[in-house]
Amino acid sequence: MQFGELVAVNQASFEIPSGRICAMLGPNGAGKSTLMKMLTGLLAPLSGEAFVAGLDVHRMPLEVRRVVGILPESLGLFDMLTVEEHLRLCGPIYGLTPAETRRRADQLLDALGLEEGRHTPAGQCSHGMRKKTALALALLHNPRVLFLDEPFEGIDPVTAQTIGELLLMTAKHGVTIFLTSHILSIVDRLADWIIVLRNGHIVWQRPASELEGSLEDLYFDLVEPVRVPDLPWLGPSQS
Amino acid sequence: MAGPFAILSALARSVWRDLRTFSSISGNNIALFVVIVMYQQPQSVAFFLMILGVLLLGPLSGDPLRKVPPDRLALWPLSMRQRVGLRLGSLALSPVVWFAVPFFIWTGGAAFGLLLIGAALLIQVAVGIWSHRRPGRPGARLAVRLPELPGRWGGLIQKNLRQMLTVLDCYAALALALGGTLYRVFGARPDPDAFLILALVVVIAVSTYGQCLFGLDLPWGIARYRVLPLRGYEILLAKDVAFLLVAAVLVAPLALLPGLAGALVALAVGHHASVLQPQRQARWRFAGGALWPSGFFQVFPLVAIGVATGRASTWYLGLALAAYLVSLWYYGREWDKGT
Repeated sequence: MQFGELVAVNQASFEIPSGRICAMLGPNGAGKSTLMKMLTGLLAPLSGEAFVAGLDVHRMPLEVRRVVGILPESLGLFDMLTVEEHLRLCGPIYGLTPAETRRRADQLLDALGLEEGRHTPAGQCSHGMRKKTALALALLHNPRVLFLDEPFEGIDPVTAQTIGELLLMTAKHGVTIFLTSHILSIVDRLADWIIVLRNGHIVWQRPASELEGSLEDLYFDLVEPVRVPDLPWLGPSQS
Repeated sequence: MAGPFAILSALARSVWRDLRTFSSISGNNIALFVVIVMYQQPQSVAFFLMILGVLLLGPLSGDPLRKVPPDRLALWPLSMRQRVGLRLGSLALSPVVWFAVPFFIWTGGAAFGLLLIGAALLIQVAVGIWSHRRPGRPGARLAVRLPELPGRWGGLIQKNLRQMLTVLDCYAALALALGGTLYRVFGARPDPDAFLILALVVVIAVSTYGQCLFGLDLPWGIARYRVLPLRGYEILLAKDVAFLLVAAVLVAPLALLPGLAGALVALAVGHHASVLQPQRQARWRFAGGALWPSGFFQVFPLVAIGVATGRASTWYLGLALAAYLVSLWYYGREWDKGT
């Protein structure tokens, strides 16, 4: 994928077995969201091919969207619709009956702790509620693959824990989960397959069980070491 | 009083920015229509200006102090005297006061004007006490309640209808349609030709929305459309059905078929700007489109095909439908290419 002179993602090749939780790591601008968009048919690659749940993403984008659940980076919510109205709008689009949509919506709202805020318009929801609403939308139609762009960013620990447990439970039901994140501790706990991306190239991809040291060490070794320059105007060091 | 002055000056900036959002009317087809009427029939223009004025005053009549988040206002270390000063000072920032007070002084005398200022002050104080007792987010939900619609696209159409009913164009069209209907029912000897023209004026009043069908979805709603398993034409159709429903209800008492023909043409032309040059819109404002070329190419063909449908043959409705279907197919594909 190329934007003007910038090659955002280049020669990325990988295969994720079904029912796994795959985490894609990398610094800002590494190409994670671009790759995610290509895998969900939202961006067309200049060359190469991608298959999701056995479907060619480029040739059958609509079929792919029917079998995947997506949590976009922007969350994709309509400000004037309530949390519940989002679910009721989307269910029938995926072929669910209104009764089935209601049943699943109730269960998802309960599982994600959105019961109290179900009648709150998305425009007035907290970031965590908005994220959980977008996740509920991604799960509503029982997708075979979940694509989650930064599901843990900007949310409180309890919400992060709730989402994490829900993802583990979903993967146990055979759903493949592909997520991007910067929060290494959560990735370490959830992911059983890890991809590290740097400057649009995959620099590491293996099952998490093959990690020799900590994920944090691997990340800083592969991506870039932490570097904090001294700021002399802060005054003399106290230690 | 430095604190209240700083707050008032920030409020003034906010009010000014808010006022600038009303400039969207300059790109609205109703503005083009009013200019034409002003040129052709200046004695009739007051009626249209009055409708627009009343509709503009509605959103402008909000309490300027509500622009400050209540939690923030409560946190500021202001004395009771300063808070009262802030409340009174904010009154001067209400655009309604700028327009209404000179108007009433001019028509009813200074005493009447001062009486109104006193009443407005009381209302402001009451609003202040009310908001203090019921803290919450400003701009609570102003959504139009609609029944759930069946089918795969039912939810989308319902959402689109609700969105459309939050632009002032619909209410300008409603006022015109009501005026026309009252004329038809109670007029001594109503001119039958007038209903056709009135129906087309109603369609002109809502036509700009046809140029910015995704304006209230921007920016996040578009991302949702992109991930839904829907083709571009389906997404556009859900928008268009909402538009046609509103147009049909409004023109039904006047001239249904010519009105629908005009609405189909407005959509057929409007798809271009809606899909290829989407412009963000604000709720409770007039839709802001482009008078040239979209507005021009909407208004004149819609009037032509509406008049032809009403006066020559209903076959022209078929022509409008054909143009609409071609546009739906073409711009549906354009939407799909955008992914």
